[in-house]
Amino acid sequence: MKNMKHTSSVLALFTAWAILTMVSCERDMEDLEPAAFPTTPEVFIDAFSAGLNYGAFGGSKVTAFDVDAEVKYKGSASMRFSVPDAGDPRGAYAGGSYFTSVGRDLSGYDALTFWAKASKSATIDVIGFGNDFGASSFLTTLKAVKVNTNWQQYIIPIPDPSKLTAERGMLFYSEGPESELGYTFWIDEVKFEKLGTLAHPRAVILDGQAQVTSAEVGQQLNIGGTKVTFNLPTGIDQTIETAPSFFTFISSNPSVASVSSSGVVTVLEAGAAVITAKLGDVEAVGSLTLNSAGQATGPTTAAPTPTVSADSVISLFSNAYTNVPVDTWNTRWEFSTAEDFDLQIAGNDVKRYRALNFVGIEFTSQTINASAMTHFHIDIWTPDPTELPAAFKVLLVDFGANGVFGGTDNSSHELSFTRPTLVSNQWVSLDIPLSNFTGLVNRGHLAQLVLSGSLPNVYIDNVYFYNAGVVVPSGPATAAPTPSRSAADVISIFSDAYTNVAGTDFFPNWGQATTVTQVPVAGNNTLLYSGLNYQGTQLGSNLDVSAMTHLHLDYWTKNSSALNAYLISPGPVEKASVLTVPTSGWSSVDIPLSTFSPVDLANLIQLKFDGNGDIYLDNIYFYKTSGGGGTTPTTAAPTPTFNAANVISVFSNAYTNVAGTDFNPNWGQATVVTQVPVAGNNTLLYTGLNYQGIQLGSSQNVSSMTSVHLDFWTANSTALKVFLISPGPAETPYTLTVPTSGWTSIDIPLSAFSSVVDLTNVIQFKFEGNGTIYLDNILFHN
Amino acid sequence: MKSNHPILINSLLLAALSFVSWSCQDNGNSIINRNYELVWEDNFDGPAGESPDPAKWTYDVGIGPGNDGWGNNELEYYTSRPQNISLDGAGNLAITARRESFGGRSFTSARINTKDIFEQAYGRFEARIKMPWGPGIWPAFWMLGANIDEVAWPQCGEIDIMEYRGQEPNLIHGSLHGPGYSGGAAVTKSFGFTNNRFDVDFHIFAVEWGDGYIDYYVDDTLYQRLRPEDVNGEWVYDNPFYIILNVAVGGNYVGFPTSQTPFPQTMQVDYVKVYKEVN
Repeated sequence: MKNMKHTSSVLALFTAWAILTMVSCERDMEDLEPAAFPTTPEVFIDAFSAGLNYGAFGGSKVTAFDVDAEVKYKGSASMRFSVPDAGDPRGAYAGGSYFTSVGRDLSGYDALTFWAKASKSATIDVIGFGNDFGASSFLTTLKAVKVNTNWQQYIIPIPDPSKLTAERGMLFYSEGPESELGYTFWIDEVKFEKLGTLAHPRAVILDGQAQVTSAEVGQQLNIGGTKVTFNLPTGIDQTIETAPSFFTFISSNPSVASVSSSGVVTVLEAGAAVITAKLGDVEAVGSLTLNSAGQATGPTTAAPTPTVSADSVISLFSNAYTNVPVDTWNTRWEFSTAEDFDLQIAGNDVKRYRALNFVGIEFTSQTINASAMTHFHIDIWTPDPTELPAAFKVLLVDFGANGVFGGTDNSSHELSFTRPTLVSNQWVSLDIPLSNFTGLVNRGHLAQLVLSGSLPNVYIDNVYFYNAGVVVPSGPATAAPTPSRSAADVISIFSDAYTNVAGTDFFPNWGQATTVTQVPVAGNNTLLYSGLNYQGTQLGSNLDVSAMTHLHLDYWTKNSSALNAYLISPGPVEKASVLTVPTSGWSSVDIPLSTFSPVDLANLIQLKFDGNGDIYLDNIYFYKTSGGGGTTPTTAAPTPTFNAANVISVFSNAYTNVAGTDFNPNWGQATVVTQVPVAGNNTLLYTGLNYQGIQLGSSQNVSSMTSVHLDFWTANSTALKVFLISPGPAETPYTLTVPTSGWTSIDIPLSAFSSVVDLTNVIQFKFEGNGTIYLDNILFHN
Repeated sequence: MKSNHPILINSLLLAALSFVSWSCQDNGNSIINRNYELVWEDNFDGPAGESPDPAKWTYDVGIGPGNDGWGNNELEYYTSRPQNISLDGAGNLAITARRESFGGRSFTSARINTKDIFEQAYGRFEARIKMPWGPGIWPAFWMLGANIDEVAWPQCGEIDIMEYRGQEPNLIHGSLHGPGYSGGAAVTKSFGFTNNRFDVDFHIFAVEWGDGYIDYYVDDTLYQRLRPEDVNGEWVYDNPFYIILNVAVGGNYVGFPTSQTPFPQTMQVDYVKVYKEVN
């Protein structure tokens, strides 16, 4: 009630003012200039004001706005906005602008005012004016507008009314769901007013910061962060974000840098300039100090032409070679300020980075296999000071066998270069041994190169991997013999034939002089120790080899006169085994693990070699000799001959298998599942079977099939059943005859399962029994 | 000023119409034609940072004799430091409220008075002031009966020439507190602008006080006329009063400052003048 009284008395006073105007302070009509544009203040009182149009924003729910004659603050109608729920297929948010096709002269007003309420307490993302679906030069935005279930008045001050002589954007809004939920809000009595009670404007540019930046001729920078805070009639401060065009920008040195009316700074010549701004008569806080070095400084000569033979090079960027595809030379990752330019210097293509903090260079579409390479080369040129601590950094990233970022097989390493390697104003060639990238465990799927450091201006050329050709020639011509032991009997450290212990570091920094690389020898990845003094291998995890009997390794050396192999357990407790050197071709040794006593075989952490010379190593693994012969199939399962059109295959090299099948779902089983090659044919191996499921990648309708086929092999199983499973689960077993004598192929009629299992919806297989089972060619056929 | 009193707003129509008449007739009937003679003034001329003339003003320091924020739960600690009260070098007294820890309080400010230095019954008391702003800021130009130590408040009487709440920058309030009509029951009237504020420029706040009347002015507008029959108790305004200027922070009358209240906040006083009526 007090407020009501207050209002009425103020209105009375206003009436008095009106009387004053009419009675005694007549204006001379001839003094009035005709307005170029209508001055209509109303936007929406009870309906669209004259000439007002509405357009919904792209991606918004276009039906979010409607006129509501039921809920209103005053008069006969209000504007109603239905904010959609998250995931509404009709649009993700409510948003749009009310605009006129003919501009209005709003220079006689000082604010947009309206009343608003909502179906619940909420915070509307933005409400403002000045959005004309065009340049929106005078866009003015109130953000985070708090509304609740009571009508409240809102005021959006016009930052400088004198600018709005032909404004078309009357009102806009945008609001998304709150905590995924939509709601409704209403706006009423929208109009421009001359309040006279907005005071103390405080303006900022660049969010009020005094920014300093270096620049070069031709560079353009936008002045953003333009805001103004008004004290409202409630005594409360309110900050609105405004378009730069409201401000008058001033350059302290217009010959060095000009600034447009919309705050775009253009650097014209060398020197310093300070950009400031005023909003009307108010000096804005914040400035941009430009230190222009004039024209960009760059190299005038080409980088040295590479001399490495093209057949030893994988080039990303060089005029000297055919380059491999690179997706982008600037990924524009978040927080990267780098700009990239292609230019020619002395007829040679060069890439230039400006404002370089870091830049991603990606070749993910076609990753690079640099396994056979020994070095990474890049030529760089910088005009920036290279005194310490200035640094230039090179990061190489390998995406691993899956070829994508993420997962567990990524590896990377970053190297930093400083003085005296770095020199300003001349080409510097970096020839970096790939072995220096110690964290880069793999380099078969290189996908990213990241350049960073503290040099904002860098020119680069001749980016390539190469094989220096000095460490490989004396190597073996043939690969080490392929191991034939059953994977079930092996714990492998380094071998292409087995799954190796994950995470092993083949080049830990123990202060050694040895260079470690991995090189292909006749297509087989081989570990090479060059200039061995000593060299460790840090296992990816502590290893229990107490169940194993031997350490196997293949080694090759022409020039070593001493070589010892060590196992190490914590303490460290280590023990050497002497290897005979030099070798005549590959030497394969099987060292009884008893040789390494007192090393704790249940807790191995490291391997070590010492000696001298250049050593090639392969097939480093532990194994156990089996209790009896014949625990491993030596031939592949028979290749099935069914017509592929009549087959639904689950596991077979001969057919396309159901995609996405999980061969080791966690059903609490004890069985160890691996996939091993048997005579080159991928085979499913169950070790220590109790039970084991197969989760099909998708439900299969096999009702048109007649049989399920599988090949199985076991030397030691005494019980084995196979189950088909449909949802329920509905499952029924079929007993298989074990042990086998060689591979057993069986075609089980599906009628054996159909009484229980829904053949239109088979989702899983299951095996139960014991022993070690090899399985192959699991499929349905007709 | 001494205690809480809700706004009692009567119609301002009378005052407004008076203003209208005056505006159009140069010498209207809103200004009662009285002849006054200047008897006391401080124009606050002097170098920036200088304290107000000790021959004219004394300080109220601290949080009030009852340690209760001067009877109003005000939040400030009043000091005599130049950073809270000093000349601004441009001809004004600056009383500045600051957000700072001092004397166990979170804000500092200042309050000065003419008790035992200059006290007068009747006359025109005026000051030209530009207001501070922001929620919880409570400046005032007011007077207390000089016999307050003998008869206590509210028997001594209180004439609030101008009070202002920072969250209502377009309104000021003029009040009388006396026996039977103090605190929330005070006689009060508000004067407001529809399209202007008191914190953007200087305005003159005055009372013209004589035997049986007190008239309240903002600039040249008479907005309240109080007579003995208008107060619900004894008319105690025939004794000398002394002048007080202060900026309170928080308190029952104005509410708490908010995080949005900008500090420091300064009330600028161009002058205080006191006249005696002459025939």
